Formats: sequence, structure tokens, C-alpha cells
Amino acid sequence: MQQLNKRMHNTLITIAGLAMLAFSAFAFAGEKPSFAPKVPHPTNGSTECVQPEDEMKKNHMNYLLHQRDQTMHEGIRTKTYSLKECINCHVPENSEVRFGDDKHFCSSCHNFTAVSIDCFQCHMDRPMEGKGTQGENPHSAHTTPTANKTTISTDVADTSKSVQDTKEAGNE
Amino acid sequence: MSNSDVNISRRSFVEKSATAAAALTIAPGMFLHTVAEAKPADQAVSSAVRWGMLIDTAKCASGCTACVSACNTENGIASHDRPRTDQQWIRKVTLRDKQTKHEISLPMLCQHCEKPPCVDVCPTGASFKRDDGIVLVDRHICIGCRYCMMACPYKARSFAHETVDNTVDHQPRGKGTVESCTMCVHRVDEGGTPACVEACSEAEHGAMIFGDIKNPDSEISKQLLKHGGKQIRADLGLNTGVRYRGI
Repeated sequence: MQQLNKRMHNTLITIAGLAMLAFSAFAFAGEKPSFAPKVPHPTNGSTECVQPEDEMKKNHMNYLLHQRDQTMHEGIRTKTYSLKECINCHVPENSEVRFGDDKHFCSSCHNFTAVSIDCFQCHMDRPMEGKGTQGENPHSAHTTPTANKTTISTDVADTSKSVQDTKEAGNE
Repeated sequence: MSNSDVNISRRSFVEKSATAAAALTIAPGMFLHTVAEAKPADQAVSSAVRWGMLIDTAKCASGCTACVSACNTENGIASHDRPRTDQQWIRKVTLRDKQTKHEISLPMLCQHCEKPPCVDVCPTGASFKRDDGIVLVDRHICIGCRYCMMACPYKARSFAHETVDNTVDHQPRGKGTVESCTMCVHRVDEGGTPACVEACSEAEHGAMIFGDIKNPDSEISKQLLKHGGKQIRADLGLNTGVRYRGI
């Protein structure tokens, strides 16, 4: 009898545990938790980045690092994963907001997660005059008029985006 | 070939030749030379090209600093009014012969050596030479030790002692790293010409020629073939990419 009680007790604990897990999953499934930082999105009507948002959140540093070495050492100057183009699209041209400020595109998350970066000790934290793409077609900034570009972007970016790039390459 | 293709009248031939000659010559002694075609943005630089410069000291005017100011503007280099520590990527040098009192003026910049001593001594690999011969500092991995500054026989490199707050987006620069002439690599990669060369030509001196010294058809190769181009400190055997005439 005592044994049966113990078994029931264990089962109840397991059920309670599972219920709590299920509840937490439901609670956060639909939307972001309220304490997450608000990342400023481009105001140029762009709804998609060079990669899906989740991928960018997780791996933007890898794309940037890869591009950095390629540009520096091999002179490859494609725009898709260039830090300069991130800034041109995400930070308004005449913005008074500087890196370090919670409202800055990069700082908004980096301040929250306490990850310090030193990119902006050298790089510009805002677009250079006349270089910002806010208010412009966002996709034209990620394309180069060369024919080879399309094949490359098919390799690295998702295919639907590349097709869009190709269509709008002529707008530049 | 059909007959109509070759049947060109003498008059029209002369006219066409004259137009072509006029297009090539802007002013006496000043010629448009074809700039190498821009490589596609996604293509790596190759060792089939070697970028170089030829500087004619006879055409370089003493007192003219157009190249220096163009470099400063292009790369966002500002003076702190401390000449001993201010960064300089290009400077004007005057050489005076003690005997004859003859003076020549020339711009001194990174010589983009084939065997760069700065690359040899760099402990982190930040100093490197691109495949197309341009010698650069990767400031992402430069630790600011300044060995390269000591190794360079041309005093071409500078150290950023102070916070840089006026960077331009194509030339990020920052405190605590070494920097030097990049041969305006951001322009060259897009088929352009370095800012100093452009300024020299705009100032109507045309003392600097930029181009691919591996391409026998480039203007610089033709000039080098015809007149030669001396290396400064040729005894070091560095095979510099920047050559001088009249020294």
C-alpha cells in the first residue's frame, strides 16, 4: 500500500512538471517576452533582411567576420554581408543616435545582452552623407550590377531573395 | 571581308583619325590613359596584376601639396597640430644636392614593396601584401606594436595615437593601430585611381602615373620601359611598386 502511494506521488509530480513546461511553452510561443529589447527596424519599408531574422539574430557575427576577412585580404567587395550596408540600411542617415545609445540599431541588443563589440571604434556607426539607403528600395543596396553576383548569392542566401535581387538589379 | 568594309574614303579616314587623336590628348603633355577594367565585386584580387606608381620628379612642383591634401581628405586624416605624432600617409620631400644646390621635390609614400620588411617583422600577420601587390595593415588584428614602423626604410607608416572621430566609411581608422598608404584600395578595387594621382593630374602637373606594371600595354609599363624608373634604396632589394624618375 505504501509502495502504491509512493508510485502515485511520483506520477503526480511528473504530471505537474509536464504541465508547467507546457504552460511556459505556450506563454512564450506567440510573441516575444516583454523584457526583450526593441530593435529599430529600417524605416524604408524593407521587411526582410539579407537572411531571415532568426538567422541574422543568431549568426550575423559569422557573416560579418567572413566578409571582413574576404574584403580585407582578397578585395571581395560584395555588399550583401558588409557591415557598411547594415549601417546604411538600419541607421537613418542624419541620425543623432550613436553607438552605445540604446536606440542605436546595434546597441539595442548588444547593451541588453552585455556583449561589447569594438567595431565602431573605427567603423562609422551611421551612414556617410549621401550613402544611407533609408527611404530607398532596400534591395538595390544588396545587389551589384555584375552578372556573377547572382550565382554567388544563390549559394549563400535563400533562393527567393536571389530571384528578387536579380529582378531589381537594373534599378541601380 | 566585303568591299564596302574597306572602301573608306581618304577624307573620312583623316577626319576619324583626327577625332581619335583629339580624344586622346586633352592638353599638351597630358594624356588620358585607360584605367584597368574594374574586377567584379565578388572576385578575389589576383597576382596577374601588380599595382604600381611612377613619379616623375621633374614634373613634381616644389611647394605643391595637392597629393597630400587629397590623401588626407580621401582617407579622413586630420591633423592635431602635433607634427611629430600626426598620421601621414604621403608627404612631400625636398632633396638638395649640396654641391650643385639643385633641388628636387617628390612625394614619399608606402612603396608597396614586393618583399616588404613590414610584413616580415609583423608578429600577428596584420601587415600583409595582397596578391595584387598592395601592402596593407589589417587593423582588425594589428596590436599596435609598431615593429613595422621600425622596419620600414621609407618611414611610410604612422601610428594612431589618438581617438579618431572623423572616419569615412570606406577607410575605417582607429586609435592604437598602425596605418599607411593603401594605394586607395577601395577605389582601385572598383577600377579607380588613387586620390593623390587624381589630384596631381587635376593640378595639371601629371607627375604621378598609376597602373598595372605587369600589363605591358598599360601607360605605366610603357613609360617604365621607355624611361626606366628608379627605386629608392634599390640596394635593399625590395623591388618597390612605386618608382621614380629623375632622382
